[in-house]
Amino acid sequence: MNRRNVRDVSVGLSFLAPNILGFLVFTLGPLLFSMYLAFTNWDLRLHNMFKEEPLRFVQLENFSRMLDDPDFWQYLGNTLFLMMSIPFAIAGSLVAAILLSQDTDGGSGWVRRRLIASAGLVFGVSCLVLAGAGVSAVTILIVGLAGAILLGGTTGGTTVYRTLFFLPHFTSGVATFILWKKLYNPSTGPITTALQPLLDLTGGVVTSVPAQLIRSCSWLCILLMVGGFYLGVRRLFLYWRDGEMGGFTVLLGLVFMTLPAACSTAWANPQSASGLVLAGAAVSLLLFGGRAVKGRGYPCRADEGLGDGIMFSATLMVVGFGLLGLGNVLYDLPVKAAAGLETPEWLTQYNWAKPSLMFMGLWAGIGSNNMLLYLAGLSNVPGELYEAAEIDGTSAFQKFWHVTWPQLAPVTFFIVVMSTIGGLQGGFEMARVMTEGGPAGSTTTLSYYVYTEGFTTGRLGYAAGVAWAMFALVFAVTLFNWKFGSRQIND
Amino acid sequence: MRKLTLVSFLVLAGAGAATLLTEPDMTSDVPVIYWSTDPNPARIKQVDQFHEWLVENGHTTMDGRPNVELRLETVAADRKGIIQGVSGVAADIMDCNIPWYQSIGILADVTEEAERDGFGTDSTYDALEPLLTVDGRQYGFPCNVYVMGLWVNVDTFTKLGMEPPPTHWDWDTFERIGKEFVHRANPAGQRQTVFFVNRIEHAFFVRAMHRSLGVSDFNETMTASGLDHAGFAETLARIRKWTFEDHIAASKAEETAFSAESGYSGAGLTLLNKGNYGTYTIGRWVLIRLRQFEDPPSVSASHFPHGGFPNTLIAARTAAVYAGSPHLVEAKLFLAYLASEVYNIGIVESADAMPPIPEFTRTEGYLRPAEYPNEWGAHEIPAQGAESIAITLSTSPFVPSATVDRYKKRALEQVMAGLATPEQGAAEAASRIDAEIQLALVDSPTLRRRYAGAVALQEKIDSYRQMGRPIPMEWIKNPFHRVYYGSKGWIKNEPDGRGA
Repeated sequence: MNRRNVRDVSVGLSFLAPNILGFLVFTLGPLLFSMYLAFTNWDLRLHNMFKEEPLRFVQLENFSRMLDDPDFWQYLGNTLFLMMSIPFAIAGSLVAAILLSQDTDGGSGWVRRRLIASAGLVFGVSCLVLAGAGVSAVTILIVGLAGAILLGGTTGGTTVYRTLFFLPHFTSGVATFILWKKLYNPSTGPITTALQPLLDLTGGVVTSVPAQLIRSCSWLCILLMVGGFYLGVRRLFLYWRDGEMGGFTVLLGLVFMTLPAACSTAWANPQSASGLVLAGAAVSLLLFGGRAVKGRGYPCRADEGLGDGIMFSATLMVVGFGLLGLGNVLYDLPVKAAAGLETPEWLTQYNWAKPSLMFMGLWAGIGSNNMLLYLAGLSNVPGELYEAAEIDGTSAFQKFWHVTWPQLAPVTFFIVVMSTIGGLQGGFEMARVMTEGGPAGSTTTLSYYVYTEGFTTGRLGYAAGVAWAMFALVFAVTLFNWKFGSRQIND
Repeated sequence: MRKLTLVSFLVLAGAGAATLLTEPDMTSDVPVIYWSTDPNPARIKQVDQFHEWLVENGHTTMDGRPNVELRLETVAADRKGIIQGVSGVAADIMDCNIPWYQSIGILADVTEEAERDGFGTDSTYDALEPLLTVDGRQYGFPCNVYVMGLWVNVDTFTKLGMEPPPTHWDWDTFERIGKEFVHRANPAGQRQTVFFVNRIEHAFFVRAMHRSLGVSDFNETMTASGLDHAGFAETLARIRKWTFEDHIAASKAEETAFSAESGYSGAGLTLLNKGNYGTYTIGRWVLIRLRQFEDPPSVSASHFPHGGFPNTLIAARTAAVYAGSPHLVEAKLFLAYLASEVYNIGIVESADAMPPIPEFTRTEGYLRPAEYPNEWGAHEIPAQGAESIAITLSTSPFVPSATVDRYKKRALEQVMAGLATPEQGAAEAASRIDAEIQLALVDSPTLRRRYAGAVALQEKIDSYRQMGRPIPMEWIKNPFHRVYYGSKGWIKNEPDGRGA
């Protein structure tokens, strides 16, 4: 390297120096230090500038303790449970992006229709208020808001809607959490107020029909669950036989799909329903297992079609759990309706606290960066593809399924990776502001656990260990996504 | 571009210099000390009073000004204080949990100064000694003292044609009056909007309940949890019953439904004033808020109901000096100020709990404030309780109080949610606390030595108890057991006072 090059490099480095120094001091340094912490017994009570207790290198002790720590597993379970809203949030973002990519500033007829609708809503609200006909503030609020949105859209077009959808993302997290706390108020919250009349109505209908009829619907759910499982196993078998999925993929899929059946032994109501579910599952497995023994025509890699397999079986798993839950609800419904159906105590009831937070996360997730990414992705889909599809006489859904969805695959992959990382790391603010991790630890996530262990209990070493375990989890999931998800995209 | 860069650099440098020059320490020619406390408007007045007190007591500069300047750092964050403390940058004076902060080693010993300047433990309530001292050394002094109990809106009871609750009562009386109250106050067939008490799940209420059955958070030597006991399970069961079966206490959801809490009990006290709550779990500082209402109600106070052994909790907002303070001498002066007449009268007048010096609770200004006749008769109840039935918190050197409270809260939440039976909840809380103690021992040879000695002592206590022999007072480290055993006649030498 000659003198001139050295000088150029020096100048370049001097420009980069502030940033590099900042990174080293404020990011890399703490990162490495926290890794060091994770292998020590650093405890604020024992190791600080005023104490002389020796700091011990504990090797993997913090990590092995984690395995025996029931709190860690509960909070990991909570974190994963809350992450179940991610696919729904992504789907919501996609739907929102598709809607917002439509040209809503259309012709005068469109504008006229919206103006009439807005005026009608405003007029209706005014009449209700003037009449004082016992209409709740929530109804007025919702109708008024809808009117305002329609009116706003008339004047501002898509920009107004895009801004409105993106609003949750750029509003301060704590502010929205407090807002949702109000919404979830078990007595006067708008959600409760809006739901209670519906529950009263449902209760009235349920009590007016024979209890056996309602309970038979519960059995219908169980049968649907069994049927779904059968069809799922059949589909996996066919994929396997035709060489579209490997043995490992099918096995993993079966594990996912069997989970609702396994859980039914503890959760099914009545218990006898569990017998039916397990029997159905066993018959399906035996039936196709027997056929599988005969071998297949098109061999493939063991992990062939892993991405598709997981998507397929996870969807069926969610449906299975949904049917199991619905069956339970329907079975208990006659008794509960007779006593009067009540809205849940959203944030203070053990079984409802997590779903309540999930729902809030869903709301925030739909209008997030994901929506913007999808909007950008949609604008990059070549118009010729749609034209070709139209010439082929495709329906709107076929256009979406065969053109839009595949074209958005890279965006979806990126969103899935980022959302998974965010989901595993998240939940701290929510838990801190809304529930303080309760009731009985039901909303404590791993990130909140790191905070309480580090700063309430003072065990910085263990807290750093949990943080690095979180990192390992995020890394493993991302690696998995990268390995199998990117293959799907490239395919 | 070069000019722009140069201008930006100069502006930034100028801003940095301006910030540095306007730093509080740079604008004062006397040492500046910081007091980390809660954001209460009364603190501003107390700071001014401190400066006046310094002048009156001769702590001045050559030109007669206070020789130290006190400034507020209003962060009510316990954890922030610890992080700052171990990092060497904490405030000089901190409102803190002394046993916990001392176990971290960040507090300065003030024993000598306390004896010399009149703020020793003998100048405040006897029962507070375990809260101010560790191993016989003093580390702070109370800013104010509180005896938690139930504050009563007498007008609500009068409206319902009922007598206000008695000062002392047992569980059955509490339940009977509570049921009668909610029955009279809530029209049949409508959503309940009036409760006898805001919430029983308050940590102090729970502790007073299980203590009244002879159960403490810890054993006599603080080496193991004492919660795996039928008494704690019975407490959990009773709380559940009063909340979900008798509906005399608001559940967490019902409390939330009224309004979000904030500040000094926030909307909760508005509801006490309005009559939605007949009684409220709080200390004497309830009067700060009640006095702000246009037409404050007549008030009275009751101690927590008991299951056989009447007791209540005494605690304090304690100030301590940071061991890393560059102004230790000046900071310790502040503790002397807390024991002064001017400070204590200020606390009496502002109703910010009780003054640290008990004599001031016997003054006319405390007992019968001229402006507030509606409070007469209520003030002496916590004051008398502090000197008769009050016991302070049991703090083990082997596990943080916050951890103990966390596991107790979790046990209660599990029982309230129906996830565990009271017996399971009690057993789990105890086993988790014991596990935490064992975990702390692994890392600290000092704690292990101390623990071994305490366990040996515990074995002796247990064998004495089995044989029915009285136990020497000095063996018992748990303030609750000292008093409880004393009341049962199981102690060789009776203690001088509660929690002594």
